[in-house]
Amino acid sequence: MREMEQACVNDQRPKRVLEIKGLGLHFGGLQVLSHVDLEVMQGEILAVIGPNGAGKTSLLNCINGFYRPQRGTISFRGKPIQRLKPNKIAGLGIARTFQNIELYTGLDVLDNLMAARHIHMKRGALAGALFFGPARREEIRHRKVVEEIIDFLELEPVRKKIVGMLPYGVRKRVELGRALAMDPSLLLLDEPMAGMNLEEKEDMARFILDVSELKAMPMVIVEHDMEVIMDIAHRAVVLDFGNKIAEGSPREIVSNPRVIQAYLGEDEEAAGG
Amino acid sequence: MAEESQGDRLDTLPKLLRERAKVLGERNVAMRVKDRGIWRCYTWRDYLEKVRCLTLGLVRLGMEPGEKVLIIGENKPEWFWAELAAQSVGGVAVGVFTDCVANEVRYYVEQSEATFVVAHDQEQVDKVLEIKAQVPRLRKVIYWDPKGLWNYKEPDLLSMDQVLEMGREYGQQHPGLFDELVDRGSGEDVAVICYTSGTTGLPKGAMLSQRWLVEGIREWSSVDGWDRPGMEYLSFIPPAWATEQGLGIAGGLVAGLRLNFPEEPETVQENIREIGPEILFYGARLWESVNSMVQARILDSTALRRWLYRRCLWVGLRVADRKIGKKKVGPFWGVLWWLAFHVCFRALRDRLGLSRAKVVYSAGGALSPEIIRYFLALGIEIKLFYGSTEMGVVSIPRPGEIRPETSGRPMPWADVRISEQGEILVKSRYMYSGYYKNPEATAAKLKDGYYCSGDFGYLDEEGHLIVIDRMEDLKPLSGGRKFSPQYTEVRLRFSPFIRDVLVVGGEDRDYVGALVNIDLENVGRFAESRHIAYTTFTDLSQKPQVIELIREEIRKVNRTLPEQARVMRFVNLHKEFDADEAELTRTRKIRRSFVEERYKELIEALYTGQKELAVEATVTYRDGRQGVIRTLISVNEVEPRQCT
Repeated sequence: MREMEQACVNDQRPKRVLEIKGLGLHFGGLQVLSHVDLEVMQGEILAVIGPNGAGKTSLLNCINGFYRPQRGTISFRGKPIQRLKPNKIAGLGIARTFQNIELYTGLDVLDNLMAARHIHMKRGALAGALFFGPARREEIRHRKVVEEIIDFLELEPVRKKIVGMLPYGVRKRVELGRALAMDPSLLLLDEPMAGMNLEEKEDMARFILDVSELKAMPMVIVEHDMEVIMDIAHRAVVLDFGNKIAEGSPREIVSNPRVIQAYLGEDEEAAGG
Repeated sequence: MAEESQGDRLDTLPKLLRERAKVLGERNVAMRVKDRGIWRCYTWRDYLEKVRCLTLGLVRLGMEPGEKVLIIGENKPEWFWAELAAQSVGGVAVGVFTDCVANEVRYYVEQSEATFVVAHDQEQVDKVLEIKAQVPRLRKVIYWDPKGLWNYKEPDLLSMDQVLEMGREYGQQHPGLFDELVDRGSGEDVAVICYTSGTTGLPKGAMLSQRWLVEGIREWSSVDGWDRPGMEYLSFIPPAWATEQGLGIAGGLVAGLRLNFPEEPETVQENIREIGPEILFYGARLWESVNSMVQARILDSTALRRWLYRRCLWVGLRVADRKIGKKKVGPFWGVLWWLAFHVCFRALRDRLGLSRAKVVYSAGGALSPEIIRYFLALGIEIKLFYGSTEMGVVSIPRPGEIRPETSGRPMPWADVRISEQGEILVKSRYMYSGYYKNPEATAAKLKDGYYCSGDFGYLDEEGHLIVIDRMEDLKPLSGGRKFSPQYTEVRLRFSPFIRDVLVVGGEDRDYVGALVNIDLENVGRFAESRHIAYTTFTDLSQKPQVIELIREEIRKVNRTLPEQARVMRFVNLHKEFDADEAELTRTRKIRRSFVEERYKELIEALYTGQKELAVEATVTYRDGRQGVIRTLISVNEVEPRQCT
């Protein structure tokens, strides 16, 4: 953990990490995102919320290059990235987790995390297989980083367990671990707490806050659970049918009439809720 | 001896640590801890250095001799350093279990008058900070795992690294101070306070002296053969418990055990396998769960392996029975066991982390004799340890004297007597020094110089101590005799054919009776194999062969029971105890008084000498309908008169 502490950024001045301007995405005639503006500051946890189909996951997919937006710009630390391939974007330091966990289910936790270090490995496959000299030193160095993450996320008991055999909540934690193993400078979390019980949610929230505190890591979290958002997010953005309808502190957001309308629907409100 | 200065006499743990570090120095490993996936080593010199710096750090923070340091955390080297440092200053360590809540922590801090708290991690620190304002005496809180605590700004919160650094600097300014402090200690000092959870009232702090830890453990280790330095030990029982104080903290220093600390409480099983400890202390529950884990794994295994396992176990159990029956194993069985060991037991023991286990204890509740027999078959002698925080170690079976029931002969330093009521009374050279700030409670436990254990038991013909139950859980028989229903029930339930059993007695009754629930599945299988046709549970339970089967099971258990506790008559109940009818709790414990009331007539019949009784019982079917069963139940004697 000491290495992580040293990595702790002392400079607390807000710096813009991610800037999205006028983002538009459509699939044929279906407008998924229209004219979305968004900023993520250094050290900030930004929540993206909205009803089903509001375009939240699509927004994350645009940021990490799965989708090509037709309009607008996405710049990461001042560099436009909307035309880059996903692997390039990952190499720049944007890591993400998925709504429906995407891990290597046949490998153990350790190997899953080591695989995430791949983008930082320089030695070839042959050298790695021979496990000799520099390749060996490199492996040890990466293993150290991974062990720090295992310690951080309290994954020790499952270190050597096959991921496919693990309970859902633990897999989610492994996925967060894998994103962290990439040593990212921006973390995108897609519903990190979906399908978890209360205790698992609390644990996850604590881990997310720890990452944020320790590394001043900026994060974009897509989440449905408003309670979680209230607890951990610094700021929230609300999407509805691809439009940004509100932005502000979580407290402002929950009392915003447009947000309430988007969630409850006009008809129901008219009918007396 | 008298001419030796106090510093030379190795009568306290800090003095022993200093001596060990001098002799064993930096080449010998004193502790290992698994961290970040690797076993990291601390040599004896490292151990001493950490304790020295921590001691001086505490002094630098204003700790005075006699002050208490409360320690709350999982088993880690830091826990041990903190205790040794507190004792080096001349203070007392107070151990607290990690699962207690903030309010309990407050009680312990207040009761022990602790001025420092050493806490493991954020979880424990949060508890302490929550109550800190309510206990003004508490000055500093020191933690060793910084995770999550990076942004805590409380002024009285320090990391152990900070304190160690403070101590290092302070040591440079005051060379010789550490030795001076250590020299001041004496064997009569209180070393540690362990809280015992009484069944009634608030926990009481039992004070253990340095002499208890140093001399007591020295004798214990030499009697039980774990005094060879460098034996591997895995520390995972809570150090707040007197047993770990003895085995881990004192055992490491006095007997020179090499202490290994697991990575996390959840990884203990895995870590045990990596270390292969030579000395091991499991609770009774843990032995049972290891045993059932093996059974389950074997069932999942291939047919050939199952077959081999059964053959080998059969040989193992034969050998175990010979050992228990004090018969010689002989060359024939010796060779067979050797084969079974190499074919099966060696690999099995390795899987369980027991490959090198030499001295193995069990404590904390009754352990079924079958479990002891099972492990003895694998060549592992589980010793039923009897002792407590207050009494220290009272009795342990010696090597080669393993009997499934007994806790062995009393230790050479302990004098055991049985009171007229059957209570175990103990006088020992290594007893606690009383309850902290509670002389009334201390006095209440003493009678004519003997400590009243509150346990019911007896000494058998060989002088082995057999502990049966807590005094308050006993039931009376006529003539003032007592017996323990639970003791008998636990043993009967171990039979695969008995699912539940209620053992009854009473002040106006001469002997013990039992209501038995047969195990439908296993008895059914037994019936099938004997071609016994049956219709319902009721029908099966009253088949003469089944009654004979249960009678034989009871007889087996009776042989291990004291005379008055033997079951003389029993009935096989016509229906199963059912939680839906409030006969059992949801956790399948019998509701004793309710069941006794419900089957009043049957219980009466056990004592009137009738042979049969017609019963009617309402049963609730799965679909909620109720029906009435009318049937004849036979009342059976365990030892028929025609047999001698």
